[in-house]
Amino acid sequence: MLWYKAWLETRSRFLFSLIGIVGLCSFNVFYGDRGALSYSKSEYYYRVLGAGHVFLALMWVIAVTLLMMGGLLRERASGVSSFTLALPVSRMRLMLVRIGMGLMQSIVLVIVPWSVMFLIAATVGKTHSFSQAAFYIALLLGGGSLYFAIALLISSLVEGEYTAPIVSYGIALALLIVFDGDKLRSYDPWRFIVGWLYLDRHTALLAGPIPWLHIAVTLLIALPMMTISIRTIQRRDF
Amino acid sequence: MMTDIPVIQTTYLSKSYGSVEAVRGVNLSVRPHQITAFLGLNGAGKSTTIKMLLGMIEPSSGEGKVLGKRIADPAESVELRRKIAYVSENKRLYDYMTVEQIIRFTRSFYTDWRPDVEQQLLRSYELPLKRSIKSLSKGMRTKVALLLALARRPELLILDEPSEGLDPIGIEQMLESLVAQCGEGTTVFFSSHQIPEVERIADNVCMIHRGRLVIDASLDDMRQSYRQIDLTFSSLPEEKELRLAGVESIRTSGRQMRVFVSRNAEVVVERARDLHASSVEVASVGLREIFLETVKES
Amino acid sequence: MFFKLTPTTGQPLYLQLMQQIRHAAESGALQDGDQLPGIRTLAEELVVSPNTVVKAYSELEHEGLLELRQGSGAFVTVKRRARSRTDDVHEARRRVGELIHALREEGLREDEIRRVFEAELLHATEVVRR
Repeated sequence: MLWYKAWLETRSRFLFSLIGIVGLCSFNVFYGDRGALSYSKSEYYYRVLGAGHVFLALMWVIAVTLLMMGGLLRERASGVSSFTLALPVSRMRLMLVRIGMGLMQSIVLVIVPWSVMFLIAATVGKTHSFSQAAFYIALLLGGGSLYFAIALLISSLVEGEYTAPIVSYGIALALLIVFDGDKLRSYDPWRFIVGWLYLDRHTALLAGPIPWLHIAVTLLIALPMMTISIRTIQRRDF
Repeated sequence: MMTDIPVIQTTYLSKSYGSVEAVRGVNLSVRPHQITAFLGLNGAGKSTTIKMLLGMIEPSSGEGKVLGKRIADPAESVELRRKIAYVSENKRLYDYMTVEQIIRFTRSFYTDWRPDVEQQLLRSYELPLKRSIKSLSKGMRTKVALLLALARRPELLILDEPSEGLDPIGIEQMLESLVAQCGEGTTVFFSSHQIPEVERIADNVCMIHRGRLVIDASLDDMRQSYRQIDLTFSSLPEEKELRLAGVESIRTSGRQMRVFVSRNAEVVVERARDLHASSVEVASVGLREIFLETVKES
Repeated sequence: MFFKLTPTTGQPLYLQLMQQIRHAAESGALQDGDQLPGIRTLAEELVVSPNTVVKAYSELEHEGLLELRQGSGAFVTVKRRARSRTDDVHEARRRVGELIHALREEGLREDEIRRVFEAELLHATEVVRR
């Protein structure tokens, strides 16, 4: 029943994030293009959608970092790690369930808001492009895996109840600063997930094919980070 | 009646944190189907030792086996935990669960769960099923933690300071439950610094002081061999005259000597008479005195 | 049957239990054929380790005061021999009672008297050992 525990542990955070993100995104689709002149409506709309995606990505990173707050190290701060570790389960299994639940929730937090936006746009007659939505979703899932891995790694290294997410946010900010230079800009993980690396300034659409290579490389960076997280927890004294 | 294979067996089990030696060369040998108390001051190394047994802390050196499985092997550690019920010192549980939920959760991991005992304990502890753990008082939380361990028939029951957080009725109920578990064949190993509880129910006592195992004996043997011998001399002999085997401490006051022995009281009495003691009084000692003398001397 | 065990004195609990069962048999509170509580039941009632009860019952069985029947429990058997032992104990108590009374008259305190008995008993043990 480890999944049951993982669910109960993150349920409030997850539902709050989901409802919040879906609500705000829906609002954006309905009213974001208010005030735009009719002849430029669709272009403006895509700008709005693009801006909305930035906001969605931001909320997603915040939410995912909060969702990944937890695990044995956080339990140690309150002392309940003694209970968990006395159960006849391996630390590996504990970590895998936590990661699995986190991944599922993170994916839902991308797919559901985008699906809702897509459906709303379709039903109220606003333009919607499946390929654009797919592009955005791929960027957020692929590129977001890095932020997921950071949150996981930090929650496995940094003790305390609420310290880990603060450190993770700090790292995300630090990444922004580091990758701000001209040379590194095209590798910036944030610019990647919000789509600015592929945004056509005139059409406000994402141009070109979905950047699978970049996504693959991000995943290849995220994976060892997750492995390190597991190993760290396996070796630690509690 | 008694099998020889110890339920807990450690060989020079040690744990150091930098230069601090929390546990030093502990050789435990806990017999099955008996109640063994693990006695020691706060910070003596009790919890660290228990956590090593359960695989929560990695030993710095030495080995241990619980129920025949090696504590340092992660896979074997999972195996041994299937048959162990444990109550930690802090008795913390998941704040985000209700009493009902944590029972359902814990129950799912063990085949030795006893629904009848669960019901009985829910009634006698008066636990509110739908309340969140976060909202429980410390005493209630302790009772939930106890229920999760006692509503089972494990081979080994390990408790770290089980009476902490309980009122006198709760303590009495807890001791009864431990006795009942032992009666059904469970080996009970509990750490405590509450002497009265230990004196009532323990068959054996392992005393740990500053990380070392200083006493490992049956409580009855201790009761029958520890003695306090008060001697009066018209002219005091040197202390070393009385430092025989078994003498743990000697205190002198005026023309009197108080000799505290863990064994061989008769030999000391004989020597005292040879040294012309004018009065020899031998008294038995309770566990409290034994504990205090032992930690003072070390 | 009411028992009272005092864990804080230096005397093993199983010995206290044995003494009290013997006393009960001597005074007639327990008679031939009476059944004592089962090991687990008594242990839970007194809140002592079952092994304490086991030791007490086994020793008394060894002495002939109890009969342990597999599955049924412990039964009191007051044999002819035990009865005369009861008389011996009664007589001893009477004599010791007189001695203690006399010592009290001489001004000795309770604990002094107890220590004197202890020391002499120990002395007796070592004499026997030699």
